Amino acid sequence: MAALLLLGVSFVVFIILFLSPGNPFNALLKEQAATGAVSDAAKRGLSVPSSWYTQYLSWLGNILKGDFGNSIQTGLPVLSEVIRVSINTVYLTAGSMIMTLVLAVPIAVLSARRGLTPTNWFFTIFTYVVSAIPVFWFGYIVIYISIHQFGVFPLASSSSSQGWSWFHFMLPVIVLGLGNGTISEVVRYLREEMSRVFAEEYILTARAKGASIWKHSFKEGFLLPITEIIASKIPFLLGGAVVVEQVFSWPGMGRMAWQAAQYRDYPLIMGITVVAAIIVRMGSLMQRVVQIMVNPRASRE
Amino acid sequence: MSNGPVLAIENLRTYFFSRSKQAFIRSVDGVTLHIEKGKTLGIVGESGSGKSVTALSTMGLISAEPGVIIGKIGLKTETVQKNLLRDLKDHVKINMSTGRIMSVYKDSLGWQKKINRLMKGIRGKEIAMIFQNPKLSMNPFSSIGKQIAESILLNTSISNRNEAKDKAIYWLEQVKMDSPRLRYYNNPYGLSGGMCQRAMIAMALSSEPSLLIADEPTTGLDATIQSKIVDLLAHLKTSFGVTTMLISHDIDVIKSLSDNVAVMYGGTVLEHGPARTILTSDYKYKHPYTAALLSSIPSQEHIREKKKLQVIEGDVLDTINIPDGCRFFERCNKVTDKIKEQCEHTEPDLREVFPGHKVRCFRFFRT
Amino acid sequence: MKKYSQISIKVSDFSEVPFWKKANTIDLICVGYGLTIFILVLVSYILGATDFLPGDPQKLNLALLMAPPGTEGHILGTDFVGRDILSRLIIGIQAYFLPGLLAIAISLILGTCFGVAAGYWEGWIDTIVTYTSNLLNSFPRLVLILLMVAAFKPDIYYIMIVVGITNVPAVASLVKGKIQFLKQKNFIEAAISLGLKTRSIIIKHILWHNCRAILIIQATLGMAEAILMETSLSYLGFGVQEPTPSWGNMVQAGSNYFLQGNFWPSTAPALAILFTIMGFHLLGDGLNNILEGKRNK
Repeated sequence: MAALLLLGVSFVVFIILFLSPGNPFNALLKEQAATGAVSDAAKRGLSVPSSWYTQYLSWLGNILKGDFGNSIQTGLPVLSEVIRVSINTVYLTAGSMIMTLVLAVPIAVLSARRGLTPTNWFFTIFTYVVSAIPVFWFGYIVIYISIHQFGVFPLASSSSSQGWSWFHFMLPVIVLGLGNGTISEVVRYLREEMSRVFAEEYILTARAKGASIWKHSFKEGFLLPITEIIASKIPFLLGGAVVVEQVFSWPGMGRMAWQAAQYRDYPLIMGITVVAAIIVRMGSLMQRVVQIMVNPRASRE
Repeated sequence: MSNGPVLAIENLRTYFFSRSKQAFIRSVDGVTLHIEKGKTLGIVGESGSGKSVTALSTMGLISAEPGVIIGKIGLKTETVQKNLLRDLKDHVKINMSTGRIMSVYKDSLGWQKKINRLMKGIRGKEIAMIFQNPKLSMNPFSSIGKQIAESILLNTSISNRNEAKDKAIYWLEQVKMDSPRLRYYNNPYGLSGGMCQRAMIAMALSSEPSLLIADEPTTGLDATIQSKIVDLLAHLKTSFGVTTMLISHDIDVIKSLSDNVAVMYGGTVLEHGPARTILTSDYKYKHPYTAALLSSIPSQEHIREKKKLQVIEGDVLDTINIPDGCRFFERCNKVTDKIKEQCEHTEPDLREVFPGHKVRCFRFFRT
Repeated sequence: MKKYSQISIKVSDFSEVPFWKKANTIDLICVGYGLTIFILVLVSYILGATDFLPGDPQKLNLALLMAPPGTEGHILGTDFVGRDILSRLIIGIQAYFLPGLLAIAISLILGTCFGVAAGYWEGWIDTIVTYTSNLLNSFPRLVLILLMVAAFKPDIYYIMIVVGITNVPAVASLVKGKIQFLKQKNFIEAAISLGLKTRSIIIKHILWHNCRAILIIQATLGMAEAILMETSLSYLGFGVQEPTPSWGNMVQAGSNYFLQGNFWPSTAPALAILFTIMGFHLLGDGLNNILEGKRNK
């Protein structure tokens, strides 16, 4: 299933670029091949396949061999470049995901268990506020505070030579963790799933025999929703990473995607999109594995 | 042998507040009943008569939403003797004005905490409960054996996992589960409803409770499996002698399993007495409602002679607007002109008309 | 199924009670706030469209740069080239209104079609819809938009088409879930056995009676997403281009002066975004609680 989806991903990416008015091929030749005749001659000379599906198949074949082509801008091979920076993005998104969960889970648990007390109400409003902040503006606030309060210029690039301190790592993580716009949704989803499970009859049985309801509701009320939310929010975090990496000059995939989009560096942006999709699919795979481990019924469905 | 009842409920009232109606739904409204040690009390009544809520109130499992539980639930066993509703009133404030309840403030958290503290060591240990709908009542993410073993570890003196497992298998054998060693590892979804109910019963018995509450244990099962479960319960009753509160709307189940019976209607007990006499059709001194209930069940005689079944006219009582008089007055077909006035305006109390037999009906009151 | 949790509503008939009486006060507050924001947005749009503004949003005033709020003639102050912030905020709505509606329309129409097809007919259609949904969910939305921007030109309408399409799976799965729920309750079988036409079952009984709440809620959330997405893209330089004001490019332009301590030019539009997004989110969630009856057990 995952492989089939990635095939679809590659196809979508290809189709978008194939349909684009500024053909990737023309971009490669830049202004040198303005006329159709020159372009056609160049294509023949480079033995570029003519029809769209042969183009797709040859491109796909190269991808499967690990060859995403070379970046137009730098001339370096795309795959190794993307993998090099994707590690940084994985750090950033994983850290932010943890940050989001650390914040959201207690609020969700409290309000699922105790209903909306004034404290929970305050926290819930807080999550709504946080989810509505434009993330880069929030980033600027954090940078401003860090410069004026701590006297540290928090951009990753400024200290890349001597390695990152925890400060340079934590600020973007906090900003993306808080400002990715999903906290209120995470809280809401977790709270509803937990409340639903607390109302299940087997929880009543557990209470009737004097057992802990946390133990009995853990799998369905906590583990499954959490993996579900992690898997489904990875795309949002990767999207948010594009902005946050830009704000903090974080040398990651998002920043590279931005540069690629600006310079119309087609091979690069294609490679990034495919790698991002792979990361998303890996998240879903993890969710699936947990689901099957927890609930053997799921494997049969 | 018996020194007082194991469970004595006095004037239990469990009200839920309905936001939309701005009124109380009086699900349980003045229930008084008691269960002697080693005996089975059957509670029978139509759906909505407050049977399950009585059971859940006893277990302290009513959720903390706006609502009131008042009265007295006395539990007296070899180790424990206390009122399960002690001090709960402190957490509820009711604002009354001109006879209507204007607002209810309930410290749900405190209430919940208090009831959990009160019930600690009682839920499971002293009172165990079997629920309706066995498939939904077992944790689907854990094997039935583990769930039974958990109950054993929590509620009995056994604290060794292997011992608990052996004990769980023993109980699975006791409830006549086939190949209990294999079933130990089965998850509930792999079992039939009847199997799950057996496992539920095993789990309830495994904690060796002083009182077993069985809430509609046969409802939702196929007819053949129902009778098997009834047989099993009868067998367990004779071999272990557990004090049981058996709730069912099925009079046949009650008849075959219980020593005493409490007939509930509109949130209150209309009749309380020995099952054998009350639930026989030729016994004259029973509440009109009980009589009507009995005659609405097809007996062999009915089927043979193709007689028409008698139905109880009217609807189940609206538990928001409970009338002043007898709750069954509107549907009663045995009102005589002599007591009609009385029936309509004053509610009869639950009075002992024969030794051990209490009825809430003016027809039997001699004064 | 949920026997014990329903005890309290056993005898009451909810259908005769108007929904706002059943609702939680908190949900009503949320919806009230959201509606206020919604009306403000509408009013601003009309004001902008009719050119009924407190000042000229494009007029430069180099004598009055970055004036604080409360300055005479500029209630919300001026930005870094002296333009009236309030006027620009009001006219900034224009940048979102039609594109946002386009995104909502795409996601609702396609999502409903997909959801109905998958839920009602099941089988291979369901397989295809599930596959397409998973496929669309595999792309981080912003990365996909960057790809689009690289392939085509950075245009707000292209962006909103992507936003709309990437929202399709969410709407489709909600509609599908609702139909599956109705099937579980034998609602659809009952309708078929009454001899109703398939078209009338789908349009009237499924979509109108049972899915309109979902669709309204998704529409409000879709608007919020459109605004947030434009904001992010403005920051990246691909959103609405200056001098046409949008809240996103106002925050972006203003934030160049942020680190020097001139907060206001970016804070004003950022707060506008914050309150608006919050309004749409609260409106959506509040409506969800009230119409879908989540808290009315």
